[in-house]
Amino acid sequence: MLLSYLLLSGVTTGALYALVALGLVVVNKATGILNFSQGELFMFSGFIAWSLHVQLGLGYLPSFLGTVLAGFALGLTIDRVAFRPVKSSDVIAIVLATVGISFVLKGAARIIWGGKSDYLSFPPITSPDPIVVGPVLIIPQQIVAFLGAVAIMLGFAAFFRYSRLGKMMQATADNKKAATLVGIRTDRIYTLAFGTGAAVAAAAAVLAAPLTLLYPDMGFSFFIKGFAAAVLGGLASLPGAVLGGFLVGIVEALAGGYIHSSVMEVSAFIMIMIVLIVRPTGLLSFYQARRV
Amino acid sequence: MFDRKLAAKLLATGALLCLGGISPSLAQQPGLTADTIKIGTFGALTGPGYLYGKIAMNGIEVVFDEINAAGGINGRKLVLIREDDRCDPASAIAATQKLIHQDQVFALIGGGCSNATLAARDNIEQAKIPFVNVASVADGVSTPTAPNIFTAALTASIESQAQLTYALEQGGKKIAVVSMRDAWGRSRYTPLMEEFKKKGITPIADEEMTPDANDATAQVLRLKAAGADTVIIVLFPKPAAIFLRDAQKLAFKPLLVGQSGIADPAAFEEQVGVQGATARFVTISMVKHVPDDVEVDKWRKLVEAKFPGDRLSVFNLFGVGSAQFLTEGIKRAGPDLTREKLIAALAGIKDFKIDVYGGPISCSETDHRCNKYPVWISKAPGGPVKVIGVTKVE
Repeated sequence: MLLSYLLLSGVTTGALYALVALGLVVVNKATGILNFSQGELFMFSGFIAWSLHVQLGLGYLPSFLGTVLAGFALGLTIDRVAFRPVKSSDVIAIVLATVGISFVLKGAARIIWGGKSDYLSFPPITSPDPIVVGPVLIIPQQIVAFLGAVAIMLGFAAFFRYSRLGKMMQATADNKKAATLVGIRTDRIYTLAFGTGAAVAAAAAVLAAPLTLLYPDMGFSFFIKGFAAAVLGGLASLPGAVLGGFLVGIVEALAGGYIHSSVMEVSAFIMIMIVLIVRPTGLLSFYQARRV
Repeated sequence: MFDRKLAAKLLATGALLCLGGISPSLAQQPGLTADTIKIGTFGALTGPGYLYGKIAMNGIEVVFDEINAAGGINGRKLVLIREDDRCDPASAIAATQKLIHQDQVFALIGGGCSNATLAARDNIEQAKIPFVNVASVADGVSTPTAPNIFTAALTASIESQAQLTYALEQGGKKIAVVSMRDAWGRSRYTPLMEEFKKKGITPIADEEMTPDANDATAQVLRLKAAGADTVIIVLFPKPAAIFLRDAQKLAFKPLLVGQSGIADPAAFEEQVGVQGATARFVTISMVKHVPDDVEVDKWRKLVEAKFPGDRLSVFNLFGVGSAQFLTEGIKRAGPDLTREKLIAALAGIKDFKIDVYGGPISCSETDHRCNKYPVWISKAPGGPVKVIGVTKVE
């Protein structure tokens, strides 16, 4: 029984970490940049979802779609305003730009949503009462978040596998010069990557919002966990990001339940250190098979 | 021939001598004139900490206004000068430096954020200016005792002692703790564990959460497995809300004993957002009244008349209580007022009743934590916030 509770809790938070990691990997794969504002994009999108759902009274699904679109638009805007002007500079300038954006987003959230309360609460979208099925206790809110995250991951996989745009993004990530030679406008692909990364962060935020509370500093901890998941799976591997997210979530929950809550935070990082010693490029870094 | 320059010099010298003759203290004491006492206050006037700064200051100001309307203290009117510390340590140092050296205030009252007040403590202590702390709960503000620093706020260690006392009074047999272990959490957790030791009790379980925690399943399950009937909560509102949500989901319903970090049960109920999850939650307030109580009608009218945008809040009452404490000290220091006399008067206050605190104020030469009466408040789901008791901490 204890194991089932902990596993459900672990896979739910793990799914959210996986989504944050996916956003990081999408941008990193296409542009070679680690987007340090991914956590703040997640936070900002959570507040947008709160405004749509609580302030404007939209349903959960329209709020979800609206937030993902807003996240995508935010990613495109940030690319235009902050990244394009420095794209010819070295990588450090671009990384610093992502750090700068994270501060701007945090400040903007304080201005727009600050002063209402210490923390904003997003209403639960299902009954908070658990459902007992035999020896297993199911919490509907967690199931919704988990299934939502899995659906987004599957959608993502289909996008890269079957859509023309997804294939163009993969081609650019694999070999930018070759992609340019065959007529792919890599600048647009970069912009699309930032937009897609932000949209994934937005989707994660709407799924996470009913499970947590919203406040302007919430992005960093999700970024760290998402980053850990991405590193664990391999920074250039989309399936690795998903696997890493689930592993981080499950290890945290099991360590907290079976060892002590004081080791929850460090357990995932200890696991990552061990994995990186054995396999420095991440768990799924071998996943380089190229479709021709 | 009449020498005008000599006459002017004689006149000025005479005036100074007269001034000295009236009161030797006036020529030496900053912020003091024959008819005014300049008091400085610092706290957040802007940003999220403004409740403990600006709103508390509004409470201080209406106490001063009331005294001034009745003729002041020994013929002197109280003048309040505000400085913004933005809850930021560096700004708090700058604010107190300005008040002490540029504005030359006679005494200080203020401090709403522990980190900021702690940062300013050295300056205040060195300046030997009387200071009454309004709302910073860190023990370091008043411990070790500085001769000129007094705290009207409950301190973290007093609240920790009260949490365990309350848990035992309510019949807790298997008492557990869930705490944060950052600087804020440790300032409460360490004295709490000392109190457990002093009483010869071992917590049935001792769990941790981070300020950013989004899930408390593991903690709840461990506490439930340990059979805890009471859980002492040393958490910020966010992790505490997550803990209460998960406890409700997993049908774990012990008595939940909070502290003044979760000072607003109504806002907390909204943050938890799960019907019934806060039913067994109690927390600490520094004041024994909620804003709707008839006992604080007088302060409501004064605050709302002076500050038309304000509705009386407990944060106004923090200011009211600390200002009543300071002004009582000024009265007792007598008409020939000096900073030394005020410090001695504050240290000598015993069992002085304040309108809003849970019990009387008592200070001593060695202990300047003068408020030792945490007030217990709770809110039944959907009901109003109610005061349910007071614990006296020795």
